[in-house]
Amino acid sequence: MKKTVRRAAVLYALVAVFLAGVILLTAQFIIKGSSWANNKANRHIYSSGVVTNAGTIYDTNGRVLAESKNGKRVFADSAAIRKAVLHAVGDTSGVISTGTHNLYRSNLSGFNLFNGIYNLKKTGTGNSITLNLDSGACRAAYEALGKYNGTVVVCNYKTGALLVSVSKPSYDVNDVPDDLRTNEKYDGVFLDKACSGIYTPGSIMKIVTAVCAIENIPDIYSRTFECEGEYETGDGVVVCNGTHGKVSFQQAMNQSCNCAFAEISIELGAAKLRATAESLGFNKQLYAKEVPLVKSRFNPSASSKTELGWAGIGQSTTYVNPIHFLAIMNAIANGGTGYAPDRIKQMGAITEFMGRMPETLVRMNPDTAAQLKQLLRSNVTDKYGESKFPNLVMCGKTGTAELDDAPSHSVFAGFSSRDDLPLCVVVIAENAGWGSGVAANTANSVLQYFLDNN
Amino acid sequence: MAEAKKENRFRQSTVLFLISVFQVICAAEVILSQKEINYNLVIIFCGYIALEWLYMLFGVIITGSDYFELEAIAFFLSGIGLTVCATIGADYALKQAVAIGLGLITYLVMLLVIKNLRVAMALRYPAAIGSILLLCANLVLAKVTNGTLNWMDVGSFSVQPSEFVKVAFVLVGAVSLDKLLSNANLARYIAFSAVCIGALFIMRDFGTALIFFFTFILIAYLRSGDIRTIVLICTVALMGAMLIIYFKPYVANRFAAYRHVWEYMDTTGYQQTRVLIYSSSGGLFGLGLGEGKLRDVFAASTDLVFGVICEEMGIITGVAVAASFAFIVVYAIRAAKGAKSSFYVIASVAAAGMLLFQLMLNIFGITDLLPLTGVTLPFVSRGGSSLICSWGLLAYIRAAGAPFKLPSPDVDMSRAAKRGGGAA
Repeated sequence: MKKTVRRAAVLYALVAVFLAGVILLTAQFIIKGSSWANNKANRHIYSSGVVTNAGTIYDTNGRVLAESKNGKRVFADSAAIRKAVLHAVGDTSGVISTGTHNLYRSNLSGFNLFNGIYNLKKTGTGNSITLNLDSGACRAAYEALGKYNGTVVVCNYKTGALLVSVSKPSYDVNDVPDDLRTNEKYDGVFLDKACSGIYTPGSIMKIVTAVCAIENIPDIYSRTFECEGEYETGDGVVVCNGTHGKVSFQQAMNQSCNCAFAEISIELGAAKLRATAESLGFNKQLYAKEVPLVKSRFNPSASSKTELGWAGIGQSTTYVNPIHFLAIMNAIANGGTGYAPDRIKQMGAITEFMGRMPETLVRMNPDTAAQLKQLLRSNVTDKYGESKFPNLVMCGKTGTAELDDAPSHSVFAGFSSRDDLPLCVVVIAENAGWGSGVAANTANSVLQYFLDNN
Repeated sequence: MAEAKKENRFRQSTVLFLISVFQVICAAEVILSQKEINYNLVIIFCGYIALEWLYMLFGVIITGSDYFELEAIAFFLSGIGLTVCATIGADYALKQAVAIGLGLITYLVMLLVIKNLRVAMALRYPAAIGSILLLCANLVLAKVTNGTLNWMDVGSFSVQPSEFVKVAFVLVGAVSLDKLLSNANLARYIAFSAVCIGALFIMRDFGTALIFFFTFILIAYLRSGDIRTIVLICTVALMGAMLIIYFKPYVANRFAAYRHVWEYMDTTGYQQTRVLIYSSSGGLFGLGLGEGKLRDVFAASTDLVFGVICEEMGIITGVAVAASFAFIVVYAIRAAKGAKSSFYVIASVAAAGMLLFQLMLNIFGITDLLPLTGVTLPFVSRGGSSLICSWGLLAYIRAAGAPFKLPSPDVDMSRAAKRGGGAA
């Protein structure tokens, strides 16, 4: 009898196992509760996988881009704006995975461990998010691209605020085309090319090569290069866009001389070029705050001089991500500190009076940044012409990304050096030909919009 | 002495008072959230709360003692079950209230019966034979529900015979192994257990089979104290289980989603993932009664009721439900110390272990910490068989005695303090 009573204590072991289970369960709720509650199967927030109840998304001027009304998601009034901001705002099904609807869904639902989604349930809306995006400027950028697909991104280099993020092709969420998934003109429509796209950069890559040259060749400014229309590397030929004759480093940049930059690339060698590129964020998984960026790739050939030459001028196996390149431009414009382009202005109570802290994505030696700024400025004054960018005091570099079996991409990366317009811009217009054409004009149009509306 | 008693009674009524306040709030939330006031629900809730107070009042008058912790816990848990049923509909609430009443009657009858050890002894053969007959009838008459065949239609009611067998199983085990620990007795008990567990296996009610197996092991340990034998039995059982899985792969397939529920979230992991999604949606305090979405999922008010509680009444209430069972077990262990016979010790500990084990299979099963076996949450899940069984098992624990011999504070405590022994 007494023994039996003593043995009863074995149940304490069961209670201990039980308590351990309860603690484990609680820990799981704390760690995974947010992702569980924000699962698409949660019918408090979603209906058949489509967001119905969530917080309002505003643009930087307080314009509503998406909100929940009576258990339905309602978007901006203007069809043009809906198309222009589609990728940044995201669709209600979360197919555009980097869209705000999907990426920030736990913030939009207002979930917290303490209250769950009680506020969402009570009010029908969760927490609102204010984007840095200026929807009017996005619309201007979208329209400036004209018939071409591609992407336009603009960032305030002093604050890191991402003001424009447009990706084409796009569609109107209120009038979804029937052939969205079948018609090839919508290829890539669910991809936000700004953060999830990578492109052959063409000559804007000469900016990276120039960084390497400034930091590794002390007498680079006193060198001259001979351009006869093509450059013999020893194991092949790099073709130039013209015959520039005898050019200095700055003239080579202004003329975008492939011969000079291929020669510089080969002199620097694959290892140094790669080291510079990687110090600027190439070959790394980067995040613009919470937004994941597709890796920019730079793997110059160590065996073929010709391939190395092409890589140094942005061809061959070189690819860049538009937002990443925008952060590089931020670094040049901002004295070496390139803030991560941040889509979000306000999210949650803390940011309402603290603001979002800028985060440095790309770092550069301040002297190098100053020299590059001067080089990019001379591109406009000595080559493209101020008239192409009236009143902007523009700095920049065009690029023409040659493709194997399609017309070249028109690319532009630059910034205004006006103190009252601290904006960087990267434009990629697919298959639109010369960089000094569509891309440069689009960059100008968008920055003019900001000049007019400030 | 009279004064001390008064103080005790006050303590118990405080507990019941707090429980009643909780229930009034729940009832008000359910009733006021509907468009019109449903007077049937008002009557059911008032009746239920009145039942609690009357029970305690008569209990104090008749027994002269004042230990009602167990009943208070059971009323608390049953009340939550009743509330969940009320949010589904008044007819569900009525059925549940009747079931709670039947459970309480079962509890009282059981207390009377097992109070007398001789009667309990005499009952073991009828209980064992009745259980086997019931399970056999079940096998023949059962209808397949949700992959298991442990439901039987009696008139307009669905009955789950295995629930009643649980109560008998504890009785048979505790009595058989109490005094007459002969080899023949032991062999008969093992055979009885094997038949029960085997029948449940054939019905594919693996969860209940596991509960029976656990209880069997527990009783065997209490009686023999031999860890080696227990390890041996478990090893044999494990090998048996592996053989079954080898020859009948569908058994393993039923648990294929275990620890992978998110990969099977629209098939075999459907219930578990919904429980996780909606439980976390509720936060600490819940979304409000009737406001949840888990209630639309199959078996929400039975197997998944813990998830419904977490979503609508908050994780705090969920934790309170879980803690209640831990309390019952601690009560049983301490009550065993004052028991008159080892029958009461074994019965009390086995019943408490059975309840806690079933609770663990339930709440850890639906949250994917354990494989989902589809057992009910004792006292809380909708359904009469489960409720009656839960109350029946509670009688074994109550019969063992009171665990907390509260010393009369004015006399004993001060004396103890003078001796320097403190309150230990």
